[in-house]
Parts: sequence; structure tokens; C-alpha cells
Amino acid sequence: MTELDPVIHAQARLRVVVTLATLADGDRITFPRLQELLTMTAGNLSVHLRKLEDAGYVEIDKTHRGRTPTTLVRLSRRGRRAFEEYTENIRALLDPPAPRETR
Amino acid sequence: MTPDDEAAPLDAAEAMRLIREQQASTVQRLEPDPRVHYWPWGFAWLIGFGVYFLRFSPDGRTLVDMPAWLPLTLLFVLLAAAAVVFGVGSARAYRHVAGESAQRGRWYGTAWGLGFFSLSVVIGRVTDSLPPDLAGLLWSALSVGLTGALHMAGGAIWLDRTLFRLGVWLTAVNIVGVIAGPGWHALVVSVAGGGGLLVAGALARRRHG
Repeated sequence: MTELDPVIHAQARLRVVVTLATLADGDRITFPRLQELLTMTAGNLSVHLRKLEDAGYVEIDKTHRGRTPTTLVRLSRRGRRAFEEYTENIRALLDPPAPRETR
Repeated sequence: MTPDDEAAPLDAAEAMRLIREQQASTVQRLEPDPRVHYWPWGFAWLIGFGVYFLRFSPDGRTLVDMPAWLPLTLLFVLLAAAAVVFGVGSARAYRHVAGESAQRGRWYGTAWGLGFFSLSVVIGRVTDSLPPDLAGLLWSALSVGLTGALHMAGGAIWLDRTLFRLGVWLTAVNIVGVIAGPGWHALVVSVAGGGGLLVAGALARRRHG
């Protein structure tokens, strides 16, 4: 069996990564909007984002929009590639490319 | 954090289902309904140019009597309303998203604004030297022409087939209308142009699901 990326292969983080991957390449989303799209609590989302950031899959910028502090989140290039690989692996599991031998 | 958050999806099929569902719901919520991009303009054109045709009909006739200022005023009010619906709709969907999409949207919006500004300066400069029916034709033909070109450009920017084809259609409709002449142009743009916008909205909606 193909090894699945353990960072992505967890229900909550998979949803986070899918949502960020759905945005156009180079787009960043604010933390509250991401939370709204995922219907997760702020604490919960923070924990998962930190794990994704530690893996280098997500970039988190704290900036200001006018005077309000804003946290912007985006999938890094590495994260996007990891997600593509993960999806390919899942596809391969569902539909094995070459039926060589069955167990 | 709930304990099952860390749990892996049960199997590959479950993971695939999760990916599909989350993708669909994100798209759905970022772009609520594509008809908001097309239908306000479609109705504005259909009604606005339609009334214009009834007042300023071919060969200088008037099919329905009404004050001369009414058709253009109505058209501009309808276009302004469409612009507001369109602007609010896109801004709401894309609120809290920053980066390249927002930048594209801003520049594309600027292209529309500056394009129409430069066009109105040019036509305003020459319109007094033209007979009224030709002046009217010049205004609407150049506006529809620019709209067609910008729709094609939008299709190129977002690789959106519906938007590009709509631009080609509007350009063709405009040329046919201009060849047909003053009066007819408004009818052609109202029915084929406005109708084209409504059809494009329905097609985009179907693709969006």
C-alpha cells in the first residue's frame, strides 16, 4: 500500500488543505473566513494550521488591514504539491493502475 | 480539539468523498451563484435597449410615444443597478480573500472603468457633429463593442469558456446591428445581446451545479 502523507491524512487537516487548495494559486484567505468555510472552532483550526505550518505546507501571515490585525493563510507551493500527491495516491488506491497480482 | 479530528479517513473511498464534498462546498460558498454575473446585465440590456428601440425606431419613426429623455435615462439606471448587483455580489463572495484573484478582479474592474471613460470622452467630442440617429448608434455600438472585447479578455484571464464565447457573440451581434443601421441596432442588441447574457448566465449556472 502506498504510504499516505500523515500530515494530510487526518480528517480535519484534509478538509483544511482541500479548502486552501480550492483557492486560486497565490490567493490568501483570512482566518475567520477559513473558519467559516470549515465550520471549525478557532482553537481547533489554529492547532491544525500550526501542524500544517510546521510541515511547511501552509504559510501564515499576520498583517494589518487598515488598523485591524488580520491573519492571512495560504497553501505553500510545497503544500499544494503534497496535496496533489496525496490525491493521486488515493486515486491509485481506489483504482489500481496495473493489476499485477492480487493477494 | 475533538479526539476523532486526528483520525484518518476510514479508507481511500472515504478520503475521496471528503475531498469532493469539501471542494464542492468551498466553490459553492466562494461563488454563490454565477447568474449574478450575467442576469442583471441581461435584463438591463433587454429592457433598456428594447425601450430605446420602441422610442427611436428605424427610419426615424416612433413605435411607442414617450419623452425623448426616457429611454437613455432608463438604460443608464438599469446599467447602474446591474453594476451595483454585480459589484456587491462579487465583493461578498470574495471578501476575506486576498492575493492574485483579488488583484485580477481589481485590474479587470479598472479596465472597464477606464475603457468606458475614454470611450465617452472620444464620443462626446464628436457627437455634436453627427446627426442624432448616427450619434445614438455610435454611443451604443462602441459601448457594446467594448463590452464584447472585455468579455473576451475576461474569458482569457479566467480561462472561462462561457465568458469568452459570450464576448464573441456580443461582438458579432454588435456588427450585425451596426450593418442593419440605427434603430435596428437597439432591437438586435436588446434581443440577441440581452438574450445572450441571460443564456450565458443559465449555462454558467448549470456548469456550476
